Amino acid sequence: MTRPIEAAGLVRHFGDIVAVDGVDLVVDEGEIFGFLGPNGAGKSTTVRMLTTLLTPTAGSARVAGYDVVAQAGSVRRSIGVALQDAAIDPVMTGRELLRLQAVLHGIPRAEADARGGVLLERVGLSGAADRRVGTYSGGMRRRLDLALALVHEPTVLFLDEPTTGLDPMSRLALWEEVRRLNNEGTTVFLTTQYLEEADELAGRVAIIDGGRIVREGPPKDLKAAVGAPTLVVTVPGDQHAKATEVLSGFGGARPGRAGALAIGLHGGSTAMSGVLRALEDAGVEVEHVELDAPSLDDVFADATGRRLEGAEGPGSPDGQDPA
Amino acid sequence: MTAATVPGRAERSTSWVPVAIMLAQRSLVSILRIPAAVVPLVAMPVFFVIAFSGSFSSLTKLPQFPTDNILSWMVPFAIVQGSAFAGFGTGFSTVRDMETGFYDRLLLAPGSRLALLVGPILAGVVRCTITLTIVLSFGLALGADLPGGLMGVAALWVASVGVATVATGWALGLVYRVPDQRAGPMLQIGIFFAMFLSTGNVPVDAQTGWVRQIARVNPLTNILELARQGFLGDVRWSTTWPGLVAIAGSLVVLWTFAATGLRRLVR
Amino acid sequence: MSAVVLDPHEVHIGTREAVEQARALARRSIVGTIRQPQVWLPGLLFPMFIAAVNTSTMGRSTSIPGFPEVDSLLDFLLPASITQSVLFGGLSAGSDTATDIQTGFFDRLLASPVSRTSILVGRLTGASVMGAFQAIVFMAVYGAFGVRLAGGVAAGLLLVVYAMVLALVIGGFAAMLALRTGSAEAVQNVFPLTFIALFISSAFFPTELMSGIYRSIATRNPVTWMVDGARHQVIVGLDWSEGARSLGVAAVLATLSILGANAALRARLRQAS
Repeated sequence: MTRPIEAAGLVRHFGDIVAVDGVDLVVDEGEIFGFLGPNGAGKSTTVRMLTTLLTPTAGSARVAGYDVVAQAGSVRRSIGVALQDAAIDPVMTGRELLRLQAVLHGIPRAEADARGGVLLERVGLSGAADRRVGTYSGGMRRRLDLALALVHEPTVLFLDEPTTGLDPMSRLALWEEVRRLNNEGTTVFLTTQYLEEADELAGRVAIIDGGRIVREGPPKDLKAAVGAPTLVVTVPGDQHAKATEVLSGFGGARPGRAGALAIGLHGGSTAMSGVLRALEDAGVEVEHVELDAPSLDDVFADATGRRLEGAEGPGSPDGQDPA
Repeated sequence: MTAATVPGRAERSTSWVPVAIMLAQRSLVSILRIPAAVVPLVAMPVFFVIAFSGSFSSLTKLPQFPTDNILSWMVPFAIVQGSAFAGFGTGFSTVRDMETGFYDRLLLAPGSRLALLVGPILAGVVRCTITLTIVLSFGLALGADLPGGLMGVAALWVASVGVATVATGWALGLVYRVPDQRAGPMLQIGIFFAMFLSTGNVPVDAQTGWVRQIARVNPLTNILELARQGFLGDVRWSTTWPGLVAIAGSLVVLWTFAATGLRRLVR
Repeated sequence: MSAVVLDPHEVHIGTREAVEQARALARRSIVGTIRQPQVWLPGLLFPMFIAAVNTSTMGRSTSIPGFPEVDSLLDFLLPASITQSVLFGGLSAGSDTATDIQTGFFDRLLASPVSRTSILVGRLTGASVMGAFQAIVFMAVYGAFGVRLAGGVAAGLLLVVYAMVLALVIGGFAAMLALRTGSAEAVQNVFPLTFIALFISSAFFPTELMSGIYRSIATRNPVTWMVDGARHQVIVGLDWSEGARSLGVAAVLATLSILGANAALRARLRQAS
């Protein structure tokens, strides 16, 4: 059976820099596949190889059943791509860009115009269709970028950090659209540095760091494999050593956010009261404590010993209330 | 919501021709929408006609000068310069497309990438024809002679199209290798050197020193002769074929430069 | 110590202090320029290239009846090259002021007890020093290619002073634009105008050999008055009245542009208060 995306041993060098260092992955038909990693991990480079914009230094990949090097034209015919920067021409109108995109894919002008109208309505840009794209907001540009990626009804859609820089409302709207496309049968390859995005959308996730995949699987399974929830404790700086000693009796240390100590708490939430009592008995002043269910950030930390960028910020990625 | 009918993948055209035409159209629409684009296309050549003819009008008193009408000498030069700037403009808009990521979208098109090279050529041909029409009309109104008549205009057009196409090859080849604003000054310097180390201001015989040696071998010297002949007398094959050879040779060199640049870009 | 009062919003700053501040800001301007050779080097090389090409291509034009008596066209072009270089370099000074505004460094200066006049004086002094440097470089390089100043050392000094005052003309104008618009791009967009002003003058060819309306415009162009006076020192000999004409025109223009820049500075300060 031909899978939408198959990559084996993909490598890409830029001079002495190894940006992608042996990536293997398989994406099944109808999946939303999340590709998660910090800045500079190799996500965009991998996407560019899979979409024929870069030639692999080594390894091979097939997209929609075609080899990305030997059959690049056929690959391009089958994929839709929305890259990190909304790839638009600010001097043209939305309608003109869609027409151009259609012509680029060999769609005759009449059908191109009709198709463009449908897509503009779908992404909510009918009203702005005849305005120059330079006047669009960031969210509008992203929506147009998505419409451009869909003009030729691709079977595989590549979205490279599609919600970076968007406000929360625009982000939710884009997520909705991605789900709808997937329900209609499009396979989606989604790169992101936002944990919640991968969690919300992807059926399977691969985490990449330093050009290599460090974990792969459904988000639920990856998080369950980490095991215990993370207890994050903030104490005064001069009490860190004492607090670390106390906490070591309740679970293994984990990388924490700046200034905080973290452990994988054996026994889960029921063990919390014991921890707090032990810290109090040791004379440690607890400034703040929270219990986070395992997140993809924990999965990343477990694999690499570091926190993922973008995991910082208010609240836990899983929406867990702090204890 | 009903889906519009889109031809299946097997039925879609794979020809690069409509894509090239579309890209050329896009380039020309951009000129209309970016007012500053009219400057290199029209304003600068017109300025050169006025300034060079005004400042250097007495050069015609040199015994080596083939005409006593400075406008007849300078108008074709200004038009050829404007044609070179048409290619220069292509380079700039390609850099802009690369910086916005739009060029990736063009690279993702499934058809032959030949369209990415041919589209700008077509746009350059139209741009230089616009320059020629406006600047020639202006020059003739100011008093330039055109004893070569329509054949002279044809020769000038061939030279302009040739220079525009050569300059486009230079611009694309450079931009594919330096895909950011740093390419701008290099583009300008290349075109500038070619223009001024030739017979822009005075014939080769009137020149002295090192520039004369360069002008004698600079392909643009023959191209300018092709462009100017109709303004100085009749159009003759003996002054036409060296210009055509110079254009052909320059096209081979600079379009190899462009094509290899595109291949490197996507390597 | 007398106070230098500029406006009601200004902190009182002594004269000596203001001079020190101006010197420090001038030094900053000069050091900043030196560290960006990609900005000033083309301003030196490009006029040299133009002069080299013109000397080689149009060298025989010196034999046209009516052309001033010179050994080589390069003698004729020396003041033009200096003028061209200073005009282009002066725009960079204005761009730097606009960049200061865009990056917020200008606000930092305003938030410090810096004399407002020093801000302008510092920037313009820097431009003027660069003008002197440019004039010296051109005289040295062209001297190596055989150009001799008919007016001797005094003529050379006069050319240096001319370049410094011309730098104030264009520097003041560029600073005015920068302070009014806050945009480096707006300042750079003036470049074609300076190019036109330079071309329709006696910079590259004698006005005596032009004709018609073009000649009328060129002879009335202040650039012609400045360049002709400077050129006289090079190709004829030291002549204080010609020198005074050149410097006088430059000084009047410099005064106007500095007043314009000062007015723009006041307007920006008023906006901020």
